[in-house]
Amino acid sequence: MSYVRSALARIAGVFTGHSADNDLRAELEAHLEMETAENIRRGMAPEEARRQALLASGGLSVAADAVHDQRGLPWVESIGSDLKYAVRALRHAPAFTAVVIITLALGIGANTAIFSVVNGVLLKPLPHRDGSRLVYLRQSTDGPTGESITFSVPEVRDLRTGAPSLAGIAEYSQWFGTLQETEGARRLDIGLVTGNFFEVMGLSPVLGRLTRPSDDGPGVQPVMVLSYDFWTKHFGADSSVVGKHLLIGDKEVLVIGVLQPAPFFPSRVDGLLNMVISPHHLSAQMVEARIHRMTQVVARLAPGATLEKARTEVDAVHARMRRDHKEAYDPNSNYRVAVIPFKEALGERAKLTLWLLMGAAAFVMIISAANVANLTLMRGVRREHELVVRAALGAGVSRLRRLLLVENLLLAIIGATLGLAIAISGVRLLTSLAERYSPRASEIELDVPVLGFALALSVMIALVLSFLASLPKEGTFASMSGGRRTSGSLKKQRLQRALVIAQISVSVVLLAGAGLLTRTMIQLSDVSTGLTTRTEQVLTLPVPLLDPTRLSPAADAANKLLYERMRSDIRALPGVIDVGLGSTMPLRASGFYLDLKAEGKPLTAGEATPNADFRTASPEYFRAAGIPLLQGRQFATTDQLGGPKVAIINEALADRLFPGESPIGKRIAWTGEILKFTPVTSEWRTIVGVVGNTRDGGMDAEPRGAVFMPFVQEFAMGGGLVIRAEGDAAELASAATRVVRRLAPKVPIENVLTVAQIKDQSVAPRRLNAVLVSSFGILALIIAAVGIAGVLAFSVSTRTNEIGIRMSLGADSGRVQRMILGEGSVLLAVGLVLGVIGAYLTARVIQGLLFGVAPYDPTTFGAVAAMMAVIGLGACWIPALRAARIDPAITMRS
Amino acid sequence: MAEKREVQQGTLALMILKTLDVLGPLHGYGVARRIEETSRNRLSLNYGTLYPALLKLEQEGFIKAEWSQSENNRRAKFYSLTASGRKQLAREAREWQETADLIAAFLTPRREVP
Repeated sequence: MSYVRSALARIAGVFTGHSADNDLRAELEAHLEMETAENIRRGMAPEEARRQALLASGGLSVAADAVHDQRGLPWVESIGSDLKYAVRALRHAPAFTAVVIITLALGIGANTAIFSVVNGVLLKPLPHRDGSRLVYLRQSTDGPTGESITFSVPEVRDLRTGAPSLAGIAEYSQWFGTLQETEGARRLDIGLVTGNFFEVMGLSPVLGRLTRPSDDGPGVQPVMVLSYDFWTKHFGADSSVVGKHLLIGDKEVLVIGVLQPAPFFPSRVDGLLNMVISPHHLSAQMVEARIHRMTQVVARLAPGATLEKARTEVDAVHARMRRDHKEAYDPNSNYRVAVIPFKEALGERAKLTLWLLMGAAAFVMIISAANVANLTLMRGVRREHELVVRAALGAGVSRLRRLLLVENLLLAIIGATLGLAIAISGVRLLTSLAERYSPRASEIELDVPVLGFALALSVMIALVLSFLASLPKEGTFASMSGGRRTSGSLKKQRLQRALVIAQISVSVVLLAGAGLLTRTMIQLSDVSTGLTTRTEQVLTLPVPLLDPTRLSPAADAANKLLYERMRSDIRALPGVIDVGLGSTMPLRASGFYLDLKAEGKPLTAGEATPNADFRTASPEYFRAAGIPLLQGRQFATTDQLGGPKVAIINEALADRLFPGESPIGKRIAWTGEILKFTPVTSEWRTIVGVVGNTRDGGMDAEPRGAVFMPFVQEFAMGGGLVIRAEGDAAELASAATRVVRRLAPKVPIENVLTVAQIKDQSVAPRRLNAVLVSSFGILALIIAAVGIAGVLAFSVSTRTNEIGIRMSLGADSGRVQRMILGEGSVLLAVGLVLGVIGAYLTARVIQGLLFGVAPYDPTTFGAVAAMMAVIGLGACWIPALRAARIDPAITMRS
Repeated sequence: MAEKREVQQGTLALMILKTLDVLGPLHGYGVARRIEETSRNRLSLNYGTLYPALLKLEQEGFIKAEWSQSENNRRAKFYSLTASGRKQLAREAREWQETADLIAAFLTPRREVP
């Protein structure tokens, strides 16, 4: 209790100092008078009496100081005066202060912004209850489409019984539906979940309730839990939406609640529904067929279970499955299951890019800090005199150190504040970048850990800077005796040079990274799409007419009729050259891969079954899109429903199935158990043509095999229009969309894009990488150039006398200039060599982000080194010229 | 006469409290005189030691200060014990006694028990 009272009294004492001082003076004076009076009473003469009293007091001012220290908080008061002093000192060096603050602001801003993304997407604990206990299960196979093939219901059942380390298994399927509202139709991304889903995931509602086991099975009311994101964006966070019915497809769905904000994997969803909305998910096929894989699996580790134990158990279960159900696991495809912490799964796509950016930002921070350290060192040399005087006047080393610390803290905190302002604007840009890579982008914010990071960074910088300066010993005049020493010690000069070299080499590393990423981007935009048309000329308009809840031949025929009407109506629009119909738009993957066999070509032992992208096209499709016909013929209007089955394959598939021979006239057929669950038949189809490859999996992915079939001969699972315009196809977008809306008002129309735009979407993330790292690189280059020029200029200014002597002894200005340039070149050369070595070592790390360029690309490295050399020499030139202009007469006199 | 000793850290607060307890409200000079007299002038107490100690006790709430007239009609600041000061005095005196007994027990030569 008395501690608290005392502390409060002392804090108050800081502010009441002045009046208390007067009070104390009176009290001490009274004491002195009483003692003097007592001395007189004992017989002393009045003067002697007072003198004795004063002697006994031990000094009034000493007492006053002692009481003063007890009254307030002495360190607070001296920090106050340190702060006042620091502000004054910085105001006297405005250029220094401005450069330091701006440099630190850029460094801290860049780092804080990137760290906020890294923290939000990769580091922060998941919002799920005990989120660290959640694991994502991924089944994969070899081959281009096997990265994640999900699970079938029987497989999940086996896991549930065979792996006791998994306390609960949450199943969900990515699905989609169409939300019908008075304003129009809208595509909904949906997760179909089982009743235990939220319990296992550890999620709670913010409104209403979540699904529970009683919502499972057929014959129940379809219910929907809105994702927080969709609730706020689409419904404006209106709580009255809970309890309302929404029309999804043609089904009434009751909204029962709103979920807390939580990321979904592999991609975001608008809402979570019970299975009853999709009869397919309750069908015998879905529930009984082992190869009918469409379920994502997240499990919760049982109390006490470890990740390793879960992995062992899951591996054992999976080995048993492969043994007991040989037909479902092609031994050549290498079926396997990975157990990954859910948090890692959420971050895996963003990881490499984010750590790359964090690394680049850290490099910028190193360069900024080195620059500030150099400036501080130079200023320190100029201030040596001042510090010596202070020390001589009795300031202790610790006091001087604190003085510098306060000054540097002030600089760092101002820099950090400015940096935060930069970060706030940067975070918005970075969030849009992160959205491409991570479902957790909405968790990015400048929260306490991020602010703590910025603060820790600034304090660390301030500490380093304060301990760089060497301080005079207490009470010494030693350094003053030699007059003004302005060159600083040799040790300090070495440190300055080392810092410049570090700046140059780190800049080279950053620039090399920027160069590689920029070349990647250029290479990627130079990749041919495979289409012969100008990319701006072709518009793609996907129209999903299929209602997954009604898969009848009659509905299909109606849909095809509607597609044909859209085609002819759009064809009639002015400026349209050609319109084709197809299941999938050019430069888009269908996502529907099926196994394939070629007649008379049995698989050799160990050969994996070939597969291909399933696509349909009308006769005009290839012309409209500009896909070149290499052999044979295009589809004709004679390729009718009920007519002979024909197919056109792309070059990649032709090379795979019929190397060295013409595929025309050969026959292929779809194969595999999976066909049972699709409207696709396994009839033989005669190949009538071969078309060129197109980059359907993104510009950076090698073309995959594709089979086109006549649009009218196959069940229209997807569909859309490819429109070729005379001029810019984007101008046709609204007119074409209007035609479609008129004919199919209940269909959501999204992603109406020209081929140029689709291509750009594929390049955009790399471009943003390149732009970000390049801007860091250029920033680094500028700071490093300022750094080298500054150090040389300082070196010139401290050597004015020496240079004057050299010149008066016969050195001409050209020689002086060369001398200074030589000094700079050495730093530059060492920095360049170290930088290139560093770049060589770090380039490997970013290999995964490169395309069409080797990580140690000599052209890039050469160009970067040349650029750094030119700019570095340019920076050296300014101080060299200054040195050459030194007038020996003036310097000698001074 | 033995050389005058500086007052030991921590004991001064106790002496001040006890002085105020025995003599009632008293100014700084009176406290100093009383302590010096009680120690038979073996302790010297300068202002730089006494006044910070008084201020500290005041901040802790054990004593309170008030300006008033002294016996010879001089204005002086009078210190007096508060209720919590009285409790603190009892506590500290007891602790000090215990410590003193302990030290005494250590320093007294004692025959080993056979």
